[in-house]
Amino acid sequence: MRLLYEGLTSVTCVSRRRRGYKYPPVRSDTGFFTDVTLCIGCKACEVACKQWNQLPADGYTFSAESYDNTGRLSATTWRHVAFVEQADRIEPAASRWMMMSDVCKHCTYAGCMEACPTGAIVRNEFGDVYVQPDVCNGCGYCVPSCPFGVVAVEPKEGVAQKCTLCYDRQKDGMEPACAKACPTDAITFGPVDELRANAQRRVEKLLAEGREASLYGIDGEETRETGPLNAFFLLPDRPEVFNLPPHPVLPSRFQPAAYSSALVAATALAVLGVAVFRGLREGA
Amino acid sequence: MPSQPHGAAFGAVGDVSPDAVAASLGRNDGGFGRAQETYFDHPVLHKAHWGWEIVGYFFAGGMAAASAALATLADAAGDPRDGALVRNGRYTALAGAAVSGVLLIADLGRPERFIAMMRIFKLKSPMSVGVYAFSAFSATAGLAALEQARADGTIARNPLGWIPKGPRVAVHALSAALMATYTGVLVAATAIPVWYRGRRHLPAIFALSAASTGCALQNGLLALGAGSPATSRKLEVIETVAAAAEGLLLLDYERTAGVPGKALFGGARGRRLKRMTLGLGLAVPALLALPGLFGRHPKRGRRLRGLVTAACALSGGYVLRESVVHAGRDSADDPRAYLQHPV
Ligand code: SF4
Ligand code: SF4
Repeated sequence: MRLLYEGLTSVTCVSRRRRGYKYPPVRSDTGFFTDVTLCIGCKACEVACKQWNQLPADGYTFSAESYDNTGRLSATTWRHVAFVEQADRIEPAASRWMMMSDVCKHCTYAGCMEACPTGAIVRNEFGDVYVQPDVCNGCGYCVPSCPFGVVAVEPKEGVAQKCTLCYDRQKDGMEPACAKACPTDAITFGPVDELRANAQRRVEKLLAEGREASLYGIDGEETRETGPLNAFFLLPDRPEVFNLPPHPVLPSRFQPAAYSSALVAATALAVLGVAVFRGLREGA
Repeated sequence: MPSQPHGAAFGAVGDVSPDAVAASLGRNDGGFGRAQETYFDHPVLHKAHWGWEIVGYFFAGGMAAASAALATLADAAGDPRDGALVRNGRYTALAGAAVSGVLLIADLGRPERFIAMMRIFKLKSPMSVGVYAFSAFSATAGLAALEQARADGTIARNPLGWIPKGPRVAVHALSAALMATYTGVLVAATAIPVWYRGRRHLPAIFALSAASTGCALQNGLLALGAGSPATSRKLEVIETVAAAAEGLLLLDYERTAGVPGKALFGGARGRRLKRMTLGLGLAVPALLALPGLFGRHPKRGRRLRGLVTAACALSGGYVLRESVVHAGRDSADDPRAYLQHPV
């Protein structure tokens, strides 16, 4: 069953991993490196993103949890700064306050892109995952298919929306608005291989200082299904502390099991139906 | 900065235990920020926006597919007593396809959005597969209904009668099989824990539920009209076997889904699912059908039995679809189901 399925999908235009598609020479991919240890929680990225992309306000809700009143990424929030408070009541000096600017990961194997039935979600010439708003029909299937809970359908327009990695700005040779606005360079933009090298150096430096640091989205366990993320992070704690899944799933991997289940049930029912209608027919 | 074990820090805060401090803060980390498991329990995943339109689509589409399959099987077996089933089955398949189409468009908002789905075919996307299955099913259901109308004398001539029967029936049967199952693949192939935990069960459960509700619907229609008891008996056999398999699969789904399965099988939703689907929808019709399977049905009350069975089975089938769709919402909203329970 699996073989049949793989064979069929490989003749249609979709999976590049399974066909071993030589996907963009990493050089041409652009992405974000977001360093949580440098973020000061000023939310300039959130604001710059809203402004450049003309995204409406989300209303004034007061979370009463932290300085984060945005909550999470949505159709109208493409950068979201999480405020993680680790107030250690027992050893106050060990308390930490971490800010993490979340964004679409621009996955190598993107669940949203695989799920989209209209082909609205494409990988653009910069190697980033882009939703074409004029093609999207708002079916919303990409939404539960994103393993990071990023893309969402905007209720008024009825189209799926998420970070475009400032496709329009990149076309004009400019860096994305959030990276431009970030005062501490916690968000840096550039070719992914350069960013990875920088990130590696930064982690080594932090570790040498005795601080906790790890990279999320380059080659760890979290990239097993989605592949390396074009927007990756430096985290001073476990990913789940920032609501990043330690094991994001690529939903298409459930299809062989699901189609097998369908095939077995449909065949069994057909056999049952034929047996009953033939076995009990008049004169049988 | 390694975090200290709880015991080491007890003295530092005097009488107040770290756990009490933590509890007063609504945390379960014993006073250590380091033990955080999620980000303020905010959801990690986004949920599908699907509402009653999609629940109704899953339900009506499955029933239409089963009705079509029953009509096709009965027609192929060629028992003259099953004539009423063939006619009802073909017409209800078309009606079901029409209702499904309306519900789909209601969900998308505008008719042309449905057409937008057909700009490409993408085997990788179950949504795309489903759209083509639905289109092929609707078209062939229309052809079958035309054929029936001609046979009934409602229309004098079938304008599309030149389409060869073999391929038409083959496409109809295959697309019906896909219609009844693809919705299970659609929900299972997402990042929502309660759904992907059911990847081996949901497509089969949806197919079996389509079969049991389809049989019950046809039986109800036969009871209303002048169906032959022989046809009802065949439908009852299929319905009972499908219902038994569906019940077993549901229980196995619950057993294997683990903690993420609580969104579907736990709490009020789980109790309702068991009461309405396992009890009313599957067990009651099976019990009512049992005497008949051994050829011992009382002569009287056949009509009433058919109608009661249909009402029970249909309610059970609807509750099943609704519970699965709603459980997906809760599962997406529960960060722990996703963060702490890898596939
Ligand atoms: S993070 Fe989600 S929305 Fe972004 S590319 Fe990956 S799957 Fe798509
Ligand atoms: S909502 Fe739009 S982008 Fe998302 S799967 Fe549907 S058509 Fe594709």
